[in-house]
Amino acid sequence: MSGDMVITMGEGTCGIAAGAPEVTKILKERFPEATFKAVGCIGMCHLEVMVEIESGGKSWLWGNVNKKNLPKIVRFHRGQGDLPEAMLIRSTDNTETERSQYLTRQTRIALRNVGELNPTSMEQFRARGGYSAFENIIKGGMTPEQVIEEVRVSSIRGRGGAGFPTAVKWGFARSAQGEPKYLVCNGDEGDPGAFMDRSLLEGDPHSVVEGMLIAAYAIGASKGYAYIRAEYPLALKHFAIALDDARQAGFLGHDILGSNFSFDIKIKEGAGAFVCGEETALLASIEGQRGMPRIRPPFPAIQGVFGKPTIINNVETLANIPWILKNGGAAYARIGTEKSRGTKVFALAGAVKRGGLVEVPMGMTIRQLLEEIGGGSASGRPLKAVQLGGPSGGCIPESLFDTIIDYDAINATGAIMGSGGMVVTDTKSCMVDLARFFLEFTQIESCGKCTFCRIGTLRMKELLTKICDGSGTLEDIDTLEELAQRVKDASLCGLGQTAPNPVLTTLKYFRDEYIAHVTEKRCPGGVCKGLITHTILQDKCTGCSICDRYCPVNAITGELKKPNTWVIDQKICINCGMCVEVCNPDAILAA
Amino acid sequence: MSKASLEATVDPEKVQGWITKIGSDSSAAVPLLQAIQSEYGYLPRKAMNLVLEGTEINASQLFGVATFYAQFRLDPVGRHMIKVCHGTACHVQGADRLNTSLRHALGIDDPKEDTAANGSYTIENVACIGCCSLAPVMLIDGEAFPNLKGADAQRHLVKHAKTKGEVLPGHTGDGDDQTDAKEK
Ligand SMILES: Cc1cc2nc3c(=O)[nH]c(=O)nc-3n(C[C@H](O)[C@H](O)[C@H](O)COP(=O)(O)O)c2cc1C
Ligand code: FES
Repeated sequence: MSGDMVITMGEGTCGIAAGAPEVTKILKERFPEATFKAVGCIGMCHLEVMVEIESGGKSWLWGNVNKKNLPKIVRFHRGQGDLPEAMLIRSTDNTETERSQYLTRQTRIALRNVGELNPTSMEQFRARGGYSAFENIIKGGMTPEQVIEEVRVSSIRGRGGAGFPTAVKWGFARSAQGEPKYLVCNGDEGDPGAFMDRSLLEGDPHSVVEGMLIAAYAIGASKGYAYIRAEYPLALKHFAIALDDARQAGFLGHDILGSNFSFDIKIKEGAGAFVCGEETALLASIEGQRGMPRIRPPFPAIQGVFGKPTIINNVETLANIPWILKNGGAAYARIGTEKSRGTKVFALAGAVKRGGLVEVPMGMTIRQLLEEIGGGSASGRPLKAVQLGGPSGGCIPESLFDTIIDYDAINATGAIMGSGGMVVTDTKSCMVDLARFFLEFTQIESCGKCTFCRIGTLRMKELLTKICDGSGTLEDIDTLEELAQRVKDASLCGLGQTAPNPVLTTLKYFRDEYIAHVTEKRCPGGVCKGLITHTILQDKCTGCSICDRYCPVNAITGELKKPNTWVIDQKICINCGMCVEVCNPDAILAA
Repeated sequence: MSKASLEATVDPEKVQGWITKIGSDSSAAVPLLQAIQSEYGYLPRKAMNLVLEGTEINASQLFGVATFYAQFRLDPVGRHMIKVCHGTACHVQGADRLNTSLRHALGIDDPKEDTAANGSYTIENVACIGCCSLAPVMLIDGEAFPNLKGADAQRHLVKHAKTKGEVLPGHTGDGDDQTDAKEK
């Protein structure tokens, strides 16, 4: 039954991290006759390693595959064993499982090719209609104004965070004076907790290239940069291959497809500064300077990189463009809500059962996304909040999970849509610690140019640390709130203006946790090290000594195999939690 | 072994090769430093001086850039690099414990130090490597290890050290038994 077998492997960064290369190697030995296809992240990162096996006109998608359970799959496909249901996600026989809801509840536009094709194959991209949107524009004699009009009809807003209407921005650059014009793809994706752009760049780079081509044609740009962060080596590699192949096929370079339009793209590798995602800082970085933002206006559309008109668009925005041109702006505008049209990709991670990449129509509620797609809580503990928009965003509490996904509805909660990172937490998390985490991040990442951002974020971080340590006062909470408002109002760029958001939203929705920290010296989530103690539950302890072996400070003593002899010396213990992790009988209490 | 012995030997021809390939105008500053760092793991002073001699880039720009971006470092690194993700997803799932456990195994007690005294490994914290749904994650010499607990991080390190012939100067908890840490 394996004569016509096609084996598709998810080999995105997450698939590789989970062990795809090893599984591929074994499958190649077992099924030498099969055709192998490596695709990007299918989006169900929680089920990596994923393998799809097609044969005899049927197909099976397997998840959580590893060296140990692989033989069961091999035997099944050899007709020698039962269906290993535990690994099955879906099949053409047994169409849906609970797990496959993850895919069926989505609407994939930006991600239309991710996980469906080999990202390094121009042939497969062309077979799925790639570059035809661009070809239609050139061959059909569409003018740049007509292209911009189609994008205007779609009502798409930039997916990089701020949600500025794409067509309006392109219109500015189209009419700006200055030669050459530049088109920059923002692939910096500095938000911790976000990986949409990584998946697009490594899983479907040609769609981003095609989006850049269309954008460049629309605004009259002849030079392009793709600014991609160095932490994404596979994205950099696949994008470079896509550029070479596109150039070879005549989609980049001089006089493209015999038109008068010339355009080429260079890759610029980011160097690990969050602020470089901000457009004016990104331009400085391309010029070889420190990535310092500058005051706008002049906007980059008028005066951008090397002083020339420049448009900067996010990866996901660009990946949507070919679809819009091909299917019409109206088709895109039919999806979503009045003010937020189309779909949005989210990177779902944290305390949910099924994390990964999710693309949904605007207008779905947060609860639907977390429960129907994300599968709800992974631990069984209730979900507490979702952190949206990274350091610029905020926390939405469970009581507001019926909020719809829409720029305005989310802004009304005090969070922001942002680029699409969604980190979910359950009751075993501390919102004060989370706020401290983000402030530490923004404080390190502040470029230091404006005082409010440089000093304000530092003071906020100090206050939060004090509260987490158990030495904070009620007055500190008030000072923190006041400071947050000032930094928001007085900072120069988006980094400082949004840095207080995690503080303001946690204060708004989780003030009781702050108060518990300062008045009761208690961390309700059991996270803050200064406020918890670790003790051994004598009735559960077996005396195995593993806690002692992993304790980094030798705070644990006792006699081997003698349960009632084990104790933690509180004077030495640093509350790192290593012992809790390794204890098999769950005999260590952190509270 | 002293830290000075980790200083790299810089080959001027190599640096010149990068300048020829990447360019010598001011926009070449970042990619030139990236080329140097990917070769030596850090930015040796001698290589920086060769860039200053061979390009239009001046010292204030070059050092300004080198100190601004998180990716660049001016001190030598160990023979192997461990990068621990401290993005949001990894943080809320306990990334801190990976550091505690790895530092313990490497015998790095001084909080300001990030390299083992015998020059074997350097631990670096990074901001999100984009595998958030497999958090917490670390990379050893570029290879990713997902869904880690502190003890798992240590076990991967012990295994890595064994295959690379490195000695771990600290304490590891795994003793003789590699399987007894709690299953997920
Ligand atoms: C501190 C800061 C960091 C940012 N990081 C990113 C980023 O990583 N990726 C991105 O596309 N946009 C980022 N942005 C937004 C960009 O400045 C810009 O608005 C966006 O790239 C425009 O593209 P769009 O119109 O397609 O959304 C950031 C903004 C700020 C203020
Ligand atoms: S937060 Fe660690 S991989 Fe994203």
